[in-house]
Amino acid sequence: MQDLLELAVSATASGCIYGLIALAYLLMIRPTGIINFAVGEWAMVASFGGFIFLTKYEWPYPLGMAAVVAVMILVGWATERIAVRPLVEKGAPLLAPILALLGVLVVTREIISVSFPPDPLPVPFPFGIGRIEIGPIGGSYQSFFIIAVTLAVFAGTWFFFEKTLWGKSFEAVSLNRRAAALMGINLSRVTALSFAGGAGAAGLAGLLVSPNISAHYLMGVPLAIQGFTALVVGGVGRVEGALLGGLLLAFAEQFIARYAPIPSGYTQGVPLLFLMVFLLVRPTGLLRARA
Amino acid sequence: MKRLAWIGGFVILAVLPFFLGSYHNDVYRKMLLWVTLALGYNFLFGICGQVAFSHFAFYGIGAYSVVILLFQLGLPLPVAIVLGVVICVVLALVVAIPATRLEGFYLALVTLALAQLFIVVLNEGGNVTGGTGGIANYRLPPIFGWRIAGPAYTVVIVALLAGTLAVLWRLDHSWFGRACRAVRDNPEAAAAMGVDVARTKVIVFTLTSALAGIAGMVYAFVDNTVNPPIFGLENAFLILFMVIVGGAGRHAGAVIGAILLFLLPFWLSPLVGHHHQLVFGALVVAAILLQPKGLIGLWDRFSR
Repeated sequence: MQDLLELAVSATASGCIYGLIALAYLLMIRPTGIINFAVGEWAMVASFGGFIFLTKYEWPYPLGMAAVVAVMILVGWATERIAVRPLVEKGAPLLAPILALLGVLVVTREIISVSFPPDPLPVPFPFGIGRIEIGPIGGSYQSFFIIAVTLAVFAGTWFFFEKTLWGKSFEAVSLNRRAAALMGINLSRVTALSFAGGAGAAGLAGLLVSPNISAHYLMGVPLAIQGFTALVVGGVGRVEGALLGGLLLAFAEQFIARYAPIPSGYTQGVPLLFLMVFLLVRPTGLLRARA
Repeated sequence: MKRLAWIGGFVILAVLPFFLGSYHNDVYRKMLLWVTLALGYNFLFGICGQVAFSHFAFYGIGAYSVVILLFQLGLPLPVAIVLGVVICVVLALVVAIPATRLEGFYLALVTLALAQLFIVVLNEGGNVTGGTGGIANYRLPPIFGWRIAGPAYTVVIVALLAGTLAVLWRLDHSWFGRACRAVRDNPEAAAAMGVDVARTKVIVFTLTSALAGIAGMVYAFVDNTVNPPIFGLENAFLILFMVIVGGAGRHAGAVIGAILLFLLPFWLSPLVGHHHQLVFGALVVAAILLQPKGLIGLWDRFSR
């Protein structure tokens, strides 16, 4: 029982990371239809940002975290400017920016791989290493920190979409681009904002996960896969779906790794299994979009 | 007449390796294999408009299956080849059928997960896949008592290239090729004209994956070793980039792109070392922004 609850806490933390990555995909897919595979690389860039600000220059954690998120928002905005906006303005098919973003993905990874040594680099824990126990539930400081930050981000996103005019304009664009433009919504500003927000969410995921797995230039692709699996499981229609999908995937992965008699590396097959099952059985995801 | 020119061209390609040294022969046959892969991927991506990241994984699946079937299970060569193709076809169907049910880029998602899992399975496969070291020290079994090696094996690769091109060419110039282009350009209109869009995608994906698997089987006896680093995920992107840079949707474009991106690292390595992927990525972004029809599009413009 103790073991089970311990596993549940760490699975919840991993699920939150996947949920943040799924949120990054979702923020960009909803208004633009563009699936940006570079979100994994964005998480990777942010963990290297964590190495620079927190390990190398030893900034206090909140300041370093703010700096990383600010850098990521800038990266997302710049990516949109370089690889997306010119194509959208030309009226290119939807596939064109997706392919251009794949080029950006490779360039991003190679820039990091050229600039840093090839070994994994350490990123510090915000509260050091230690355990919290609340009744029977126990877990590391980092697990609870990840869960708290993710809940705050999802609450903020929910507030943004439900309560602010900006959020409403996002929804309007995802429902009908032409009508939204006719209503005076600036489409390119919404697109720029969605990429900046997506990079911010992916960056947070990278920074939060990096103390556990260290910053490495190849860490992006698995995160990208787990993130879109969470998105497919939860459904593109609703923001909460991203978190729910992430949690389901993480629980399946960790319980299989713990209890199934297979080499632990094979848990990387769980996303593929989830994708195939959900596309066959429930292709619109668990949560339906609200009418 | 035209057919004679094609046959003559392939005869020249097949005779050439007998005049090359062993190093150049090695470069030459790997280039031909990349051209073969790019031609197959072009049919899936360029002609049918489907993005998948599993083409190189199927190349690896073909290579590993033929080696495992021949040397771990001791099956005869023809059986191993047929079984290898069956493995590729079944895997491709399992992946493609759920992934093509919806509009959108689900095939790209599922095949990226598959390609990533393939590398994991290779590394964790224990004695079956040889783990991180892979499998080495095997030789192509004699065919009718004849051991094919050296430049003679390059002739096999030329035959593979010719066969792949012939299959794709015939398909491209049939109603099926037109159906594929319709699926790429306007799926709704294609469906209205009676094309089963999902089935077309599944067939194209399965066919091109099987072709990649066959190419992989041929590759398995080029270096007589298969190991995980050869089949790394970066190659999935490279093959996509070859087709984009050369010109998606055109067989000649795929050939040009494959040759260019295969040879580029030889000239770039004094400048950028092992980081030629950096140049490829930038090249692809530039191509999509400035020249979406690729190099073959530039050729068209200037030859007019």
